[in-house]
Amino acid sequence: MSSESTMNASAPALPKDFGKKKKGNRLAKLKQCKLDAKREQWLSQGKSKVKNGTLPSPVINQNHEKEETSSKNSETRSRGGEDSSLHDSDLEFLTYSPTNSSVSGSKDSRKNLHIGGSSSSSSCGSCSVSVSDDEDVRGEDDDDDGCLDDWEAIADALTAEDLKVQNPSLELPSGSADDLGKECGVGALKPDCSEKISQKVVTNCRAWRSDDVFRPQSLPNLTKQYSFPMNSERHFGRGGTNQGCHGISSQPSSCPICYEDLDLTDTSFIPCLCGFHLCLFCHKRILEADGRCPGCRKQYDSGNGENGIGGGAQKFRLARSCSMTGA
Amino acid sequence: MQASRARLFKEYKEVQREKVADPDIQLVCDDTNIFKWTALIKGPSETPYEGGVFQLAFAVPEQYPLQPPQVRFLTKIFHPNVHFKTGEICLDILKTAWSPAWTLQSVCRAIIALMAHPEADSPLNCDSGNLLRSGDLRGYQSMARMYTKLAAMPKKG
Repeated sequence: MSSESTMNASAPALPKDFGKKKKGNRLAKLKQCKLDAKREQWLSQGKSKVKNGTLPSPVINQNHEKEETSSKNSETRSRGGEDSSLHDSDLEFLTYSPTNSSVSGSKDSRKNLHIGGSSSSSSCGSCSVSVSDDEDVRGEDDDDDGCLDDWEAIADALTAEDLKVQNPSLELPSGSADDLGKECGVGALKPDCSEKISQKVVTNCRAWRSDDVFRPQSLPNLTKQYSFPMNSERHFGRGGTNQGCHGISSQPSSCPICYEDLDLTDTSFIPCLCGFHLCLFCHKRILEADGRCPGCRKQYDSGNGENGIGGGAQKFRLARSCSMTGA
Repeated sequence: MQASRARLFKEYKEVQREKVADPDIQLVCDDTNIFKWTALIKGPSETPYEGGVFQLAFAVPEQYPLQPPQVRFLTKIFHPNVHFKTGEICLDILKTAWSPAWTLQSVCRAIIALMAHPEADSPLNCDSGNLLRSGDLRGYQSMARMYTKLAAMPKKG
């Protein structure tokens, strides 16, 4: 991993510890399999603490970030690295866990890459920076409380959802908002609130009900309330809030054929009356093959009768142009 | 070609995650070739196959998922729709009724369903099919149970 090498170059302070964790990091991919099963157990256990050693890479990254942070804030360093890393790995799990239980494997794999990959260093880093800076401002000693207070302040300002606010899982957005986390945590609260909360909507798709009074006007109205918080990390990764919410209104977010993400054009593309969604690439490939809808196994151009593949292709072009203009 | 590989890889991830969810199916990918899979399925309860563990071999074509995977029983099974010698399976979703929306996991479920509900009118195993079609349910069940014990259960002693 790239994060490993940079870590070793810039933070030689704890070589023994790092060597151990680096070894663990190589096995991280294997451990992901176990982790997937374990996470579900964790989810069922509620907010029980996650053991420190179970996910090596975020912990390492966090320590690495800690080193950098300490150049700015020396107080940060005085705190035990161990308990703060525990906190952050905890936070990392909480960040991803709500999406984990109910979504299908494609998102899961993407999330695993997200945790294990170099991007996790940025998310962890931003979260550790924001936490430590908050601590300096407030002069408090407990990581969890500091972060939670921070969020309660935001929540009070917005008088947003009550349940989620009291819940420690409210820390979610600060860990998950890769780019926003830093500026939100460091800077003023109010201007970033809406942005941060909208990020939260994407992360945890149940922040507002559609009939909620406090729901921001900027959010698109969903025709159908989706029942499970799916594919959030993908959407915040792309940064398209509206797009994300639009995409998960009533259909899967990944193509059921190739398991790739559906973009906006794809999500508005319904080639068959049965409502089966798939991406344009797969639709084209199917038309080149037998031309039957994977959902209902009828010919895509069943309305035209015996026209076969040619008619299907025509309809395909038509549908695509429509959806393009719609987008 | 690339699409089938990507899809199989994602199915592999999903199988890893769902392993606990479906205890009757154990789907394993070949270590070196992602187009070769092996599945272990438990015989459904209240059938002559109950208690047996049957091994399936998947050969996934490069056009997957547009083309169905080729599946056959490696474990000998006495079933109207399974060829007794080759293990070939007569199942519509593996042939004409295949849909790209199916996965290897769902194929396993379909095969378990086929074991519970044999279709005697399109037999690959004529002996088994004839027993069922002539109404000799008891004969079919005892034959199937015997072969389950012989081939699909761990040897005793």
